Amino acid sequence: MVDAARQPRVDVRAFTEVEKVEGFVGNFKVTLREKAKYVIADRCNGCGDCARACPIEVPNYFEMNIAPRKAAYVPMSQSVPLIYSIDLENCIHCYKCVEACGALEAIDFSQEDKIVEEDIGAIIVATGFGHFDPSVMVEYGYGRFPNVITSMEMERLNNSAGPTAGNLIRPSDNQNPQKLAFINCVGSRDKRYNPSCSNFCCMYSIKNAVLLKQMNPDVDITIYYMDIRTPSKGYEEFYDRAREMGIHFSQGRPSLITEDPQSHNLFVHAEDVGLGQNTIKEYDMVMLNQAAIPQPDQDHMSSVLNVAQSPGGWFMEYHPKLRPMDSPTDGIFFAGACQGPKDIPSSVAQGSAAAARASRILHSEQWEIEPTVAVVWPERCSATTRGQACGICAKACPYGAISITSPEFPAEVITAKCHGCGACVAECPEDAITQLHYTDAQVLAQMRALLADKPEEKILAFRCHWCSYGGADLAGTSHFEYTANERGLRVMCSARMDTDFIYEAYRLGAGAVLYSGCHPQDCHYITGQLIGAKRAERLQKMFHRMEMTDGRFRVEWISAAEGDKYARVLNEMQIVLDNMPQDALKAEIEKLKPEMSKRLKKFPNVPGVQEAMDYSDTLAQAITDQKETA
Amino acid sequence: MSHPSMIKTFADEVKTIPGGEHLEKCYACGTCVSKCMIQQKVDPDYNPRRLLRLVMEGMNEEAFSSPTTWMCSECDLCYEACPQEIHISQVIAAVKQLAVDAGYTSPLTPVSVDEDLCSGCGICAMVCPYEAPSLYEKEVDGKLDRFSTVDANRCMGCGTCVAACPLGAIGREGVSNAEITVQLQYPKTEPPDLVTFICDWSLRVDEDLDILESYPDDQVKVVHIPCTGRIDPQHALMALKSGVKGVLVCGCKPGECHFKRGTYVANCKMSLLGTMFGQVDLPQKQIRFIQIGTQDRGRIRNEIDAMLDTISVVEEAIS
Repeated sequence: MVDAARQPRVDVRAFTEVEKVEGFVGNFKVTLREKAKYVIADRCNGCGDCARACPIEVPNYFEMNIAPRKAAYVPMSQSVPLIYSIDLENCIHCYKCVEACGALEAIDFSQEDKIVEEDIGAIIVATGFGHFDPSVMVEYGYGRFPNVITSMEMERLNNSAGPTAGNLIRPSDNQNPQKLAFINCVGSRDKRYNPSCSNFCCMYSIKNAVLLKQMNPDVDITIYYMDIRTPSKGYEEFYDRAREMGIHFSQGRPSLITEDPQSHNLFVHAEDVGLGQNTIKEYDMVMLNQAAIPQPDQDHMSSVLNVAQSPGGWFMEYHPKLRPMDSPTDGIFFAGACQGPKDIPSSVAQGSAAAARASRILHSEQWEIEPTVAVVWPERCSATTRGQACGICAKACPYGAISITSPEFPAEVITAKCHGCGACVAECPEDAITQLHYTDAQVLAQMRALLADKPEEKILAFRCHWCSYGGADLAGTSHFEYTANERGLRVMCSARMDTDFIYEAYRLGAGAVLYSGCHPQDCHYITGQLIGAKRAERLQKMFHRMEMTDGRFRVEWISAAEGDKYARVLNEMQIVLDNMPQDALKAEIEKLKPEMSKRLKKFPNVPGVQEAMDYSDTLAQAITDQKETA
Repeated sequence: MSHPSMIKTFADEVKTIPGGEHLEKCYACGTCVSKCMIQQKVDPDYNPRRLLRLVMEGMNEEAFSSPTTWMCSECDLCYEACPQEIHISQVIAAVKQLAVDAGYTSPLTPVSVDEDLCSGCGICAMVCPYEAPSLYEKEVDGKLDRFSTVDANRCMGCGTCVAACPLGAIGREGVSNAEITVQLQYPKTEPPDLVTFICDWSLRVDEDLDILESYPDDQVKVVHIPCTGRIDPQHALMALKSGVKGVLVCGCKPGECHFKRGTYVANCKMSLLGTMFGQVDLPQKQIRFIQIGTQDRGRIRNEIDAMLDTISVVEEAIS
């Protein structure tokens, strides 16, 4: 950190919050709030005289609140930059610090927060993780029993620079504890709190146990665990070393901690899974390894940066295996535990990868993006035709890539921000936006070709590029058998599956239509699936009102790993068609057609659509002619 | 899953019964075993974690004859502690149902009904947390009469029905009225200062039971009952009549009762008794009902000491 701050081209802005991020890759405009320190940074030399003079003591966050700090303080002694600040919430304005500072005159109570705007090329987010509060798990008594502490607190107690100078004492009587227990998975791997594994706690508890044992060889340490997870290089060897040092490992998750009211000694109730027997063991002090959870303000950060969150609240990466350091938004990268709990080597690797990714942007004159971007036909936009932009496209865009500067001007797509999901194209009520390579005309031409012959037997399957198309692919490579009447059609996202496409499919007399995409949390385009799902629900209600047989229009969310599900869904749809008498199916198809045509009245006006229709009609005619001559 | 062709293993069979469906989520952390008090207090072979394994491995005969299948009283202490949110008692109930279907019977001794005394009022059926008693009709001397009968596979032996029966028609060795009343009469010795009724499950650890024994018998007389639902207000009155100065009833915290709602029933009874004492100008402080939780280690000492203090104060006031 000190090295980084000394680099002439690195600018460290401590005590500063990101308020707003606008713009796009290479051209971000970031608004920062530089909070008032009430100390003039250029004059402060970090001597600490002000802190020594300050009479106010408040809990020290860095010391896990087990030691005090002053109202004039630095967060920790290794702070970079080493500049003191005054905590005005707790300051009593005695001005002893001003006196102590003397000739330096570094303290300035008139300072105010400064709002700064910066031009930024790329953003790396490294906001870290938060800690689960174990006091909600009443069975462990944290907060009620003085000798139940968290491992983070223990780490400060055992640190030679900590409040006890490395002398391990227990809170109830300040005596050196002789029997210690660590409890793993407190709040993690627990459906009631955080179902996921916190990744590093096994190693972390072993490390703490080894450190304690090295500094206090006489203490007796037990680690209670469900499973010990030491999967990386050298980790298992470290675990072996801990066992050889005489640290006890007891498999079995404790269900209860009780306390002797007189001695404040603790009793850990746990099953020894190896023995299959209930054990109640006495300890002087118990340390809880609490779960790693997203930072408390992670939701806020995600809305400021406009990046999505995975289930569990962590920032969502572009691709879990291939691009774990990229956010779905170009130019924003993740490093470390803000993207998911990870240990130091993984964080360092991800940080370096993110830095390399970012420097690629900084050294590029041009930036390549996906070619499937959206384009507005300004003459069709309601701003032009009716003088009032409706703004539906801007609302639908998951990336905020559509700007409507004023209601009189047509919507504009910021091409660099567009990722090509096609949500705006499908949502636009005026059909005034198109998506390159997935224009209405192109999709229509494909549909017409797929449904040219005996459409009533066909099942038209709309698949999204990232999930259900992958699912269909997997069904194929895994040799899962499904109906041969399926006709697949790929668009980028379920958000692109226009109502007009579905109407056109039924107007052409399709037997059944599948509307498929990613699971809500997996969407490649942040919220694209939600837009698609909402539309699908509307369509389902509509077809239900029109008394269409259930199962002829089906909505399913299928991930790329669910080839079996794709095959099953298609087979079930085939069963629906098979179970319908031919006449009934034909009658139902015919009954729908006029209503569908009515709804598609304006569709041929979309540029290219009429031509596509004509062309496919000629093609169909040619095929029929050929058949007749044959 | 309901389709017969899909039920292939014993685990599938258990999963078709409501409550059994979460079976395979168990990752064997042992939380249930350590939260449950049956292994610690009654049977070392009792182990819910192992029962789930037996089911998953298709070892149905071992599962049916395991004490775990029959001794679980559905207190659900394990359910609230389970990190996988498996409703273990329901899984065990599913196994038990299959065991009953397969002809296995409970090894526990149920309460029995004395038909000479039973009037067929049905109060026992109303108070039982396990719906073990039910009424049936049979002809006696040419007349149709109603009697209560107890399902031996359902009765867990809490004794709530024994206390509730107005005619003393239900009983079992270990919970009968005679066994308790004999402990409340002191024809040869001075009566003790305090009679403490202790539910077998309210004191979790042996150290707490040692505390009880540390008081001399002529100061504190301890009467063990299977559940505070077994407490009959008559017992309290009987004790006071024989010269005892105070009665302390100690049960489990609500939600932690070993027999689902015995502590709730006892709370109702004891509060009513207290109100009654107030109405006839008897010192209400002579009787007390406390509920001890799983984490209240050592609290019993404070409670008994407090009660002994109260008694001396009451005594002074009376004299």
